[in-house]
Amino acid sequence: MLPLVSITLFLPLVGAVLILCLPRPTARTVHGIGIGTAVLTLAGALAMWLEGVSSAGFSQVEELEWIPAIGAAYRVGVDGISLPLVLLSAVMFLVAFIFTSSLRERPRAYVVLVLLLETTAIGTFTALDGILFYVFFEVSLVSMYFMIAGWGHEERQRAALMFFLYTLLGSLPLLLAILGLYLGSPELSFDMRAWIANPPLEGAAAMWALIAMLITFAVKIPAVPLHTWLPAAHVQAPTVGSVILAGIMLKFGTYGLVRFALQMTPGAFREAGIVVLIFGVVSALYGAFAALAQTDLKRLVAYTSINHMGYVIVGVSVAALTLDPSVRTVALDGAVLQMFSHGLVTGALFFLVGMIQERAHSREMGEFGGLLKTVPLIGWSFILAAFASLGLPGLAHFPAEFQIFLGTLGSVPAAVVVVLGIAIIAGTFLKAIRETFLGEPRQRWHAMPDLSKRELLAVAPLLVLTVATGVAPSWVLDVIHRTTSSLVL
Amino acid sequence: MNEIALPVVFPLLAAVAILVLRRWAPALALAGATLSLAVSLWLMGRVAEGHLETLLLPGLPDMPLRLTAEPLTALLTVVIATVGTFVLIHSVGYMKQESGLPRFYAVMSLFLAAMQALVLAGDWVLLLAAWELIGLCSYLLIGFWFQRSEAANAASRAFLYTRSADLGLYIAVFILIGSAGTSEIAATMNVGGSVAVAAGLLLLLAAMGKSAQVPLQDWLMRAMAGPTPVSALLHSATLVAAGAILLIRVTPLLAPGVLLAIGLVGGFTTVTTGLVALAERDLKRLLAASTASQYGLMLISIGAGAPLAALLHLVAHAAIKSALFLAAGDFQHARGGTGFDRLESVGRIRPWAFAGFTLAALALAGIPPLSGFFSKDAVIAAALSAAGAVWLAPLALAGTLLTGAYLARALRLLWRGAGGTRPVAGAAWMGVGVWGLAIPAAALGLAFGPIEALLDLPAPEAEGAWAVLLGLLAAVSGLALGWLVPARRLLGPANPWAQSGLTVAGGLTAVVGRPAMAVSRGCERLEDRLYAAALRVGRRGLTIARGCERLELSLYAVVLGAGHANLAMGHLVRVGDERRIDGLIFALVASVRAWGDRARTLQSGLIHHSLAISAVVTAVMLLILILASLRF
Repeated sequence: MLPLVSITLFLPLVGAVLILCLPRPTARTVHGIGIGTAVLTLAGALAMWLEGVSSAGFSQVEELEWIPAIGAAYRVGVDGISLPLVLLSAVMFLVAFIFTSSLRERPRAYVVLVLLLETTAIGTFTALDGILFYVFFEVSLVSMYFMIAGWGHEERQRAALMFFLYTLLGSLPLLLAILGLYLGSPELSFDMRAWIANPPLEGAAAMWALIAMLITFAVKIPAVPLHTWLPAAHVQAPTVGSVILAGIMLKFGTYGLVRFALQMTPGAFREAGIVVLIFGVVSALYGAFAALAQTDLKRLVAYTSINHMGYVIVGVSVAALTLDPSVRTVALDGAVLQMFSHGLVTGALFFLVGMIQERAHSREMGEFGGLLKTVPLIGWSFILAAFASLGLPGLAHFPAEFQIFLGTLGSVPAAVVVVLGIAIIAGTFLKAIRETFLGEPRQRWHAMPDLSKRELLAVAPLLVLTVATGVAPSWVLDVIHRTTSSLVL
Repeated sequence: MNEIALPVVFPLLAAVAILVLRRWAPALALAGATLSLAVSLWLMGRVAEGHLETLLLPGLPDMPLRLTAEPLTALLTVVIATVGTFVLIHSVGYMKQESGLPRFYAVMSLFLAAMQALVLAGDWVLLLAAWELIGLCSYLLIGFWFQRSEAANAASRAFLYTRSADLGLYIAVFILIGSAGTSEIAATMNVGGSVAVAAGLLLLLAAMGKSAQVPLQDWLMRAMAGPTPVSALLHSATLVAAGAILLIRVTPLLAPGVLLAIGLVGGFTTVTTGLVALAERDLKRLLAASTASQYGLMLISIGAGAPLAALLHLVAHAAIKSALFLAAGDFQHARGGTGFDRLESVGRIRPWAFAGFTLAALALAGIPPLSGFFSKDAVIAAALSAAGAVWLAPLALAGTLLTGAYLARALRLLWRGAGGTRPVAGAAWMGVGVWGLAIPAAALGLAFGPIEALLDLPAPEAEGAWAVLLGLLAAVSGLALGWLVPARRLLGPANPWAQSGLTVAGGLTAVVGRPAMAVSRGCERLEDRLYAAALRVGRRGLTIARGCERLELSLYAVVLGAGHANLAMGHLVRVGDERRIDGLIFALVASVRAWGDRARTLQSGLIHHSLAISAVVTAVMLLILILASLRF
């Protein structure tokens, strides 16, 4: 039996090392290795997908001794919550490499950074050891920092710094929480499976650990009011940086919220659940309203991310609060699927906005108009992705949000006010489409080229998956459901 | 039984085929619609024989999608497919000169599929999905001429209005699934109690959005910026019908209070939009206002506890209104617009279309023996026998009167005056469309008996003669008033107000839209402040870091100085005696030991302690590195 998880996890790293070993590789070679590695990684993720997960605990677990003295080991594996995110990562990184293959500005360093980021992303989702998780969680920051600082737009330095400060300082509390869990565990181990099976902390200690985790994850998700780094980082990040940041890295936060906060301190989360829920509702609505006020397309998409991640927080906190297992399952199904869907949809949106920016050197929707006539493929792709993002049935967000809201109403009916967000987001995207793509085409943009083959290859897989997830969500939901329906909290 | 899915599948396949092939669009769309009609008729036949069918499809966990063929749903599929087929035939002519036809026919086909899914849906998830998808199709079709600013705005407005009202459907569905524990529509009908009241009111909200009931009627009039076949299909017979269909399907759920609310909303709408129609200066907009008004009548009869009457009127209205719109499309091509100032005397120039228009108009006004007479009679009978008859009956009669008035006015404006024509391309196709619907509009009354027998819906109690008499009186006097008295005189000082759509307080856009934008701008301002605050904190950190750096530099200077001093001392020592050197060395060793001890206390042996420290130190070091690199 091949160690699929480890292979998938370290393939990108191997690719990165390979690139570094080559003496003076051409840009073509570098991009070729990047895409090739990503294809293999996707193959690995698909193999993991075919292998599947069992209903109880983790599957495909691989274990190696690491630092036995302190009970830390190399432990990786997946369950129905992490496997979709691994697949999502593999897909997103592949399309990111395809999109970036035209880059001629220091391509070697760039591809190495993205490959490193891919390993850390898959590592974060598959790690079953507290230390290992933390290492992956942290190292991802470095790659992203350098991507923004090295290849971003005008004010990238400040944005990169803000991103780094926020997320680094934000993650120190998680370290404390991990140490707390370690010290509380009976045989002093960093094995996350043990922490989940028997939550080691109780009472005030659990509450402190939870608060520490919540701070970390709230920065990462991000939840209002700790979100200000996100629009700044997105606006300055290169397109692929934005796609990975929104598509994958925000999920570190929501994944942590489920894996750590919900599964390792369930009692404390139930006590504090209502507070978390309020943060979720506020995030979702605030993100929606802030998005409505934007005129910069990239900032607009960034704020809709805050809204969508707010729904995830709502789903997870509802799962923590409710005593009814069926409601918990529905809410968690929705929350996990929402992470998956958001990656696809927001990834596509950032790609498309990036393409417009590359062509027009502007993201102000007021400067456009009638682009649907000039660049129909970009236009229709954007409209499809936008309607997916506003939760249209048949597209990826609908099944997720439907289940989150259904769970919310089943547990804390008042919180269903969050459903207002879908009307506001609808207004946001309708306005953006109206201003950018509809109306009389402007002379200025007549020469704008439509999707190139490279761009089409980058964005089409995401749109196809968006439709597939919307029309037949069961292909993902079955995997998620297997784990969430047998979750014991 | 998989055949239930076929009315949905055929138009869906047509849409996909059009998008893939990008040719033969009209033929493919027509094939899809015709096949859908054929299967619907066949399904209807089977259901009439007593075969009730359900098809389960994979959906969400524990919530499978469900298609149900029962008398009501089967009948509605036939109505939709019929209207769809004839509208598509008409479109072949109407759209002849347009570009972007694959898009038009693909979305029309997709719309048909979604609408069939909506009426066949046996579970809330599928119903909700179809409900939203027809909203999307409506958006795409109203905005078909997206370069025109008016159409682009109208499309956005239509989607936003209906989506906002859809929140009612969302929450109602959550409530119903939550309390019944299943998503099957039939099983959620007996939840009862306050749950039923809340769900009923929320469903009413959703229905008001789709069926363009006051105060959510404004989008429908603006939707006339789209192509006329779109108005004929979506904004008269199907999309708008979804609201009424929803309420008809959930009648077992509706509590008396909710019923009264539905009736009053309908009554209020039928009168206000009737007045608006009377003052309208554009034929299509008049027909749109009339649509809202007729759905108001349907809501009255649902509110009166007689969903059967509403259904009959819905079926009759579907044929009538689409025929009216299709004829309007013919006029539009003859004169290049739909404003009444352009349409003067067009009736004499396009006699066939005008004859179809007149027939349908008389049917809608409720003149026997045309279909509208029977359906309106049922509505008025229902209103008269309702619990809230004091309210509902006068409103229903006023609505009927207004219907006659605005239709007669329209006929008169189309007939009188003078004006030329221009060649109309595709007139034959359009003619088939108009008459294909005008004939059922006239003759559908014959089918009402069998329909009543087929459906298991509460019928209005026979108030017979009174209802007929009052209804006829209202219809005839309405027609006479509309023909004889100009609208300006009829409405008097209210005319300008009615022309502006009877807007109160700037309309819904002002009442809901402006506060929402204000909140949004407030968030944006808060956002700036939060960002500034974060930056301030960052800057403070920067200042501290700079301080550290200065300290670092001065330390470096000190060390350097110490080094120099050392050298100097060495120089001195070289000339000094041995004992002094020994003393210096011993002192050095002692101090190193002391430092080592201090360092040992830091290394407490606890892994977490050292980890924490190394993390903090790494963080600080990284920070300093970054700040240093930023400055250079």
